[in-house]
Amino acid sequence: MNDQTRIDQDRAERTEKLQGMGCKRKRVEDIRFTQGKGSYVDDLKLPGMLFGDFVRSPHAHARIKSIDTSRAKALPGVIAVLTAADLKPLGLHYMPTLAGDVQAVLAEEKVLFQNQEVAFVIAVDRYIASDATELVDVEYEALPCIVDPFKSMLPDAPILREDIQDKMTGAHGPRKHPNHIFEWMIGDKEATDAVFANADVTIKEMLVDHRTHPSPLETCQSVASFDKVKGELTLWGTFQAPHVIRTVVSLISGLPEHKIHVIAPDIGGGFGNKVGAYAGYVCSVVGSIVLGVPVKWVEDRMENLSTTSFARDYHMTTELAATKEGKILAMRVHVLADHGAFDACADPSKWPAGFMNICTGSYDIPVAHLAVDGVYTNKASGGVAYRCSFRVTEAVFAIERAVELLAHKLGMDAAELRIKNFIKAEQFPYQSALGWEYDSGDYHTAMKKAMDTIGYKELREEQARKREAFTRGETRELMGIGISFFTEIVGAGPAKNCDILGIAMFDSAEIRIHPTGSVIARMGTKSQGQGHETTYAQIIATEIGIPADDIMIEEGNTDTAPYGLGTYGSRSTPVAGAATAVAARKIKAKAQMIAAHMLEVHEGDLEWDVDRFRVKGLPEKFKTMKEIAWAAYNSPPPNMEPGLEAVNYYEPPNMTYPFGAYFCVMDIDVDTGVAKTRRFYALDDCGTRINPMIIEGQVHGGLTEAFACAMGQEIRYDEQGNVMGASFMDFFLPTAVETPHWETDHTVTPSPHHPIGAKGVGESPHVGGVPCFSNAVNDAYAFLGAGHIQMPHDAWRLWKVGEKLNLHQ
Amino acid sequence: MEMNGSQRIEASREQVYAALNDVEVLRQCIPGCDSIEKTSDTEMNAKVTLRVGPVKASFTGKVTLSDLDPPNGYTISGEGSGGMAGFAKGGARVVLVPDGEATMLNYAVSAEIGGKIAQLGSRLIDGTAKKLAGDFFSKFSQIVGPQPAGDDAPAAEVAEKKGWVGRLRDSL
Repeated sequence: MNDQTRIDQDRAERTEKLQGMGCKRKRVEDIRFTQGKGSYVDDLKLPGMLFGDFVRSPHAHARIKSIDTSRAKALPGVIAVLTAADLKPLGLHYMPTLAGDVQAVLAEEKVLFQNQEVAFVIAVDRYIASDATELVDVEYEALPCIVDPFKSMLPDAPILREDIQDKMTGAHGPRKHPNHIFEWMIGDKEATDAVFANADVTIKEMLVDHRTHPSPLETCQSVASFDKVKGELTLWGTFQAPHVIRTVVSLISGLPEHKIHVIAPDIGGGFGNKVGAYAGYVCSVVGSIVLGVPVKWVEDRMENLSTTSFARDYHMTTELAATKEGKILAMRVHVLADHGAFDACADPSKWPAGFMNICTGSYDIPVAHLAVDGVYTNKASGGVAYRCSFRVTEAVFAIERAVELLAHKLGMDAAELRIKNFIKAEQFPYQSALGWEYDSGDYHTAMKKAMDTIGYKELREEQARKREAFTRGETRELMGIGISFFTEIVGAGPAKNCDILGIAMFDSAEIRIHPTGSVIARMGTKSQGQGHETTYAQIIATEIGIPADDIMIEEGNTDTAPYGLGTYGSRSTPVAGAATAVAARKIKAKAQMIAAHMLEVHEGDLEWDVDRFRVKGLPEKFKTMKEIAWAAYNSPPPNMEPGLEAVNYYEPPNMTYPFGAYFCVMDIDVDTGVAKTRRFYALDDCGTRINPMIIEGQVHGGLTEAFACAMGQEIRYDEQGNVMGASFMDFFLPTAVETPHWETDHTVTPSPHHPIGAKGVGESPHVGGVPCFSNAVNDAYAFLGAGHIQMPHDAWRLWKVGEKLNLHQ
Repeated sequence: MEMNGSQRIEASREQVYAALNDVEVLRQCIPGCDSIEKTSDTEMNAKVTLRVGPVKASFTGKVTLSDLDPPNGYTISGEGSGGMAGFAKGGARVVLVPDGEATMLNYAVSAEIGGKIAQLGSRLIDGTAKKLAGDFFSKFSQIVGPQPAGDDAPAAEVAEKKGWVGRLRDSL
């Protein structure tokens, strides 16, 4: 063995020991999760703790004529019943939403959606509280309700929000109707209209991304404990953004922010559902302040599905203009956005329709125009980003369905049409027609790899044979090939673009090296299952050469964690991951000075080698990070302050733009409408890959939720505004039985502006997956002249498609 | 929800019409009726306990008779609230047509439901409504029509006691 081989081997061994970036480190949090030792909000038991439960409206729209709480209060074990009348003197019967609207905490004069909170019963246990809700007598006068958003702005539509009836200017500009929330426009309308007027080929379709719900397994919940002596409030809750909750609680309660301790313990899934502030949080806080004992509130499943933050409900009139040869010239989209009874979308403040303007997708479209009208209806409020960056699933669904419809009209292959219009690798950074600067991408390479791997040409040949066989009556099965090539926009965001209630969307990391060389790092984000404790440690391990196993990651306690905006919109890695790398580099810079002092050389004479600084040309002269850590505290260089820690608040210069090429092969039984996913191939490019195993897990989870949304999951309302299917009896949550097998793959195009080149991945599979499934279904029926088939594609609806096309014998 | 049906009753139209106006008969026939009392010739207050799927609730409400056209029929309508469990309102147009010695009772029901029973029980509502209507009229024809022969009564009793497994087995 020669010297160089020995050195390389030694270096490889030390690198492996670190378990840094790029390795499939096992998830450290799973040690407690798989043993049932996670600690969730509902695990919290405090002395004297009371339980709250809501009285909810059975009506979608009704005037409250009276509320009589006397029978409930008489039930032994009931301590208090809160109504709007109790909250009004405190100014708490309404709370601000993240979208600049207000939302009723407890309904005062009217209820605006079924299951809206009307009263909050506090009792000694959950069962008594629940029983007592049935004893609160509320007299309603039912009013006509609006379920169809297209009827919201009719001249004779009932006015839903009487509280803001006269306020014809909302948080996002003028309102055209009392049930109108905002109109938001971007792009060059004149130029776009001109292109459409003269185009060879145009397509226009109403694409509905239907209302659904993130449905995390753990519902929303909180425990509030107010210490009357100290005047301090501790609030445990299922918060994806604990610091934002602390600031909001401070603003609406008047308590100074340093006397509010917000703690988000382990969270069992969020997917956007746990970003907002809910009536339950406010009522548990008020209950605890009034009664001086802790008050717990835990949502049940129906409450979760029917009240706290739905997703989607975008009705998108989507148009493309193109040449005969298939070059896309322009895109025009109008969205009717159903926001429910209150505008409680969780978007950055300046973006009432989120990042819907990413809807030009992966294509070089010269001009485009997007207009979004938000309206009120008698449905629950929300509009959260369900496993996606703000409205990105909607945007990608619009463009990826539209491209397929255009291909069909042109008689062109859908993959070929995409390739023809892709933004080319040399065009990055690319300025899109609707205002974004795509940081990086290599779409052609990814698409080619995906098509070769899946055997695209052969699949199309097989499909042609099967279609002929179907026409001849030899088979009753339709084969569909779904394609989606998506570009996401994640990692909000640059402060110039993105803030929440005025708080710029930076994020943070604070790293502290202990004298013995182990580490604690605290983050402004909050994992809900993403595996932050594993992956952040890998970034630090690689950056500063301390094994990941010696690094503890802590999140969720606002007293100890640096201020951050939380975890949603795939922003943890792009923003807090960057903060982690930058903070680690600050530490490394100081460590280099200490090492130089220890080795009695100039800093410039040192070089970094995995876990140590060594003197250039003298490999045997080195100091490991562990040795440097001890020296940092006990024998720092003269005039250097002791200690080895750093904090970074990272304000990203741009967002990151992960992309991917997805293919789905589906076989549909035309007589039963049952769709079987034969293959699903997902190629993701999320830039630098921190932990391939976690990425794979994220992709599996995101695809499963995409499968759910596309193939059956829905929150539906009947004409009376009854929310249908708000239980797992009806709401489709795929289990291992229904879930297809996933094939995953990747390319790597690092983000040029991110310190480690990473882009975020947790939501890509959802964003790319939904249109891929829908395209597969639509492709299966396309040759029969089915036109666009709306989601969700459950067997019943697909059977009806066959019925409509007269395919059933 | 809309539902139509008819039931042959072994009694004259006059007898049937009178029974339809008899609070005591209605009390016995309305499934889950806890109480019913007349507040005027055409108005009653009723309390009914119903189970739809997993939701069981007590409804209190008002029943009104209108379009009285003895002995040809009437319209019966009601509105009830079960608190958090939900509410229901609806009505039935009842038309009596002579059929030899007996009477054909034709009914057209329209109903609207809301609240938890609608949310949880949506898939079960139609089936439940049909069953309730069936229960009502079979009981009604039992009371109004001739008393069944001695042998039949115990048999009916046994059938009632069968659990769902028994009923399933019978249906196979």
